[in-house]
Amino acid sequence: MNTRKINGVRFEEMVRNGLHSLQAVEKELNSMNVFPVADGDTGTNMVTTLGNAISGARTNENLSEYLHSLSSGMLLGARGNSGVILSQIFKGISLELTRKAVANHVELRNAFIRGYRVAYESVIHPVEGTILTVAREGIDRTSKEMRNIRDIESLLACYLSHMEKTLQETPEMLPVLKEMGVVDSGGKGYIAIVQGMLDCLNGTVHETRETETALPAGNAPTGVTDLSNFNETSVFEEGYCMEFILQLLRHPEYDQQFSQADFIRSLNEKGESLVVVQSESRVKVHVHTKKPAEIISYAQKYGEFLTFKLENMQLQHNEYLQKQEEQPQPDNSTAETFVTPEADEPDVPAIRMPFAVIAAVNGKGNKKIFNDLGCKYVIECGNTMNASASDFLDMIRKANAEQTVILPGNGNLILAARQAADLSKAKVTVIPTKTIPESYFALAMDIPDSEDIGRRIEQMHEGMKGIDTLLVTVSARSFRHQELTINAHEWVAIYRGEPVAASAEPIEVISQALEQTEGIEDKESCIFFRGARGNELLQDAIETEIRKKYPLMDVTFMEGGQGVYDWMIGIF
Amino acid sequence: MKKFTIMADATCDLGEELQNEYGITVVPTHIMLPDGRDIPSFHKWEEISRDEFYNKLRANPDGYATSPPNVAEFVAAFKKIADQGEDILLLTISTGISGTYDFATQAKKEMAEEYPDTKIRIIDSLRFGPALGLLVMYAAQKRDEGLGLDDVADYIENNKNRIHQAGWLDDLSFVAKKGRMTHAKAFFGSLAGIKPIGEFDYNGLTTVIGKAKGAKAAYELLMKYIEKTIRDPQEQVIVVAHTNRPEQAEIYSRMIEEKFHPKAIMIREVFPMCGISIGPGLMAAYYAGNPISQGLVEERAILEACQQK
Repeated sequence: MNTRKINGVRFEEMVRNGLHSLQAVEKELNSMNVFPVADGDTGTNMVTTLGNAISGARTNENLSEYLHSLSSGMLLGARGNSGVILSQIFKGISLELTRKAVANHVELRNAFIRGYRVAYESVIHPVEGTILTVAREGIDRTSKEMRNIRDIESLLACYLSHMEKTLQETPEMLPVLKEMGVVDSGGKGYIAIVQGMLDCLNGTVHETRETETALPAGNAPTGVTDLSNFNETSVFEEGYCMEFILQLLRHPEYDQQFSQADFIRSLNEKGESLVVVQSESRVKVHVHTKKPAEIISYAQKYGEFLTFKLENMQLQHNEYLQKQEEQPQPDNSTAETFVTPEADEPDVPAIRMPFAVIAAVNGKGNKKIFNDLGCKYVIECGNTMNASASDFLDMIRKANAEQTVILPGNGNLILAARQAADLSKAKVTVIPTKTIPESYFALAMDIPDSEDIGRRIEQMHEGMKGIDTLLVTVSARSFRHQELTINAHEWVAIYRGEPVAASAEPIEVISQALEQTEGIEDKESCIFFRGARGNELLQDAIETEIRKKYPLMDVTFMEGGQGVYDWMIGIF
Repeated sequence: MKKFTIMADATCDLGEELQNEYGITVVPTHIMLPDGRDIPSFHKWEEISRDEFYNKLRANPDGYATSPPNVAEFVAAFKKIADQGEDILLLTISTGISGTYDFATQAKKEMAEEYPDTKIRIIDSLRFGPALGLLVMYAAQKRDEGLGLDDVADYIENNKNRIHQAGWLDDLSFVAKKGRMTHAKAFFGSLAGIKPIGEFDYNGLTTVIGKAKGAKAAYELLMKYIEKTIRDPQEQVIVVAHTNRPEQAEIYSRMIEEKFHPKAIMIREVFPMCGISIGPGLMAAYYAGNPISQGLVEERAILEACQQK
């Protein structure tokens, strides 16, 4: 469709769709939110801001009237840094289109420009790498291509395309984004809104969600804040996030000489991330400060608060850090071969990480063990551990790191891993682990705190050295190997590729196999990975047996879940 | 010259006997137990044994918590000494870990009106646990040599960043959860025998600067590391502290004794107020050496060099 002009009714439809498009990514935005503080609610703030505005605005065929209504509602209903800046963008749009009953693509372009200008003016210290940059570069670059743009759809499409590009560059502009491995969440949210607006014109309507109406009374973002993350031992560095609407009062008790410029200057001395918006006699303020009392008493010189919110940002920051520990994010960890792939394919991370480890394992438990050790990219293979070079290549691409390490975890996979490393354009090192226990110890020796990637790789090589693996399983058939006779359904233990012990009893076979292990008297630690068929109830007996014969040995049990071997034992 | 008392908060981990021997006054911290009780920190294994405590802690890591003395408690502690007509030199746990220093400073302000003649000097030790205890012992030593409050305080200020930690932690999850570790990219996974080597950074937070495969390799590596970082070992008292690793602590002390011949070597079991944040599995030596570099750049390089065979 080629829309030449839009009126108030059409614009309302577009922003409604924009809201639904934004709601679809609300959770994702919350998880990406790191600047100015990792308080995890950009998504919710933007949804609430836009949602409140739309529900409060009066439908009007006249574009200018509708925008005025929408924008006033948004200014007063804005939440959080991102919400306030969004409301400023719409204020600019509304100002530019004053007295226009309809707008064409040129006028809309002008409105987007005015939008970012007003937004920049409202933020005392504008930071590049945020929604501001995305909105600005998006429309400035689009402006240069106006010759090829003849309708609203092309304007929005061009705007979106340029904004996407800028969004990908935001980690280069704002170091904290790069550190966290995300792009700017506010920018991404704005893009979602504009996308929804374009989709509306193209006939794609996003599904609604119930919560389009005003925020529930607690002002709480989705989810209850865990207060235990700020206690007597906490250090208060982040300060408070304070938001209020101050109603200037004509009563002679109050100072009648309110000057927005002076007000801003004063507040700037008392806090940071300041956004001040005045709408006639109401002043909306968003500020971060460690000394809220100073700002409160200053503001009360001129009037009283209509609304007030004060939040402890250290609590949010600590909670965010806590969540980071619990869930390695973003969760791009799965690629499964020979198992039905999961419905949601993980995306390539937005920016390049300096280092990533890929490991091939068998067993859900083993995958978790490796995830817990910090390995995000685990290839979960079938029982025959038959991952191909292209499986590894897929993972290398997904990891998108400057230096990647592969732990094949099986003698048969080393070639495939090396092939993938050769074929890939990325820097890939294969640490030739022949068994999963070897991979485990390689990973356990990594020093994630170190910035020296070379050293980390050396440590992982060190980890693999000197590890002996015993594989214990039940034999499907009888056979002979040298002096050893193994009967069908008997336990057999394999060491360095050969069966070395057989017995009707599992504990017996483990004990015999250990005796055959080179240098067992001097070994310090053994770790048992229990397979899907391994019997957990045997663990105590195994431990007792080992302590009896090898008192210096440390024994650990882990739930590996592998298919073939009841027990994989790693020893050093 | 006016007499002064050396004071420390309970994270100095000095037992009752040592407190008496060195003449240290300890301000107790709070320990929160799983059953909800709030008890003052204790410095003697009386009601509960060391093994029992660390086993319980391991079974229920989130059930225990600690908190510092509050302002009023500091004021009370100060008053007691001031009433005896003495000045106070207080060493607190690192500001990088706790707000204790701020509480103490506030308490000092509140003392000023009522006790204008009592001098109170507070030092941010930049350390915690047995390392803080070591600094306190040094302070006591200097006081016994006849130095006045300011001289002792200056000495501690100038030397506090020279206290090293060389040892291992079996389970990093405790220090990570309680915020006593840098970049808590700590693995919550078990490390099955791999020993993370922990040193202090400038602010006294534990940082893993290397790893060793097994206790044997760890001892060897640590001895080399201590050699490269210690100063005047024969003039020092070295502390080997542990949380429920007595046999290893014995072995380690003997090795240190044989190699470095320090003036004295003390084995100590870490008490709960620090133990809760460290967890079972600490086995480390605390000693005075070269000043710790920013970002542990030098220390990492030294450890790496020690690992090359």
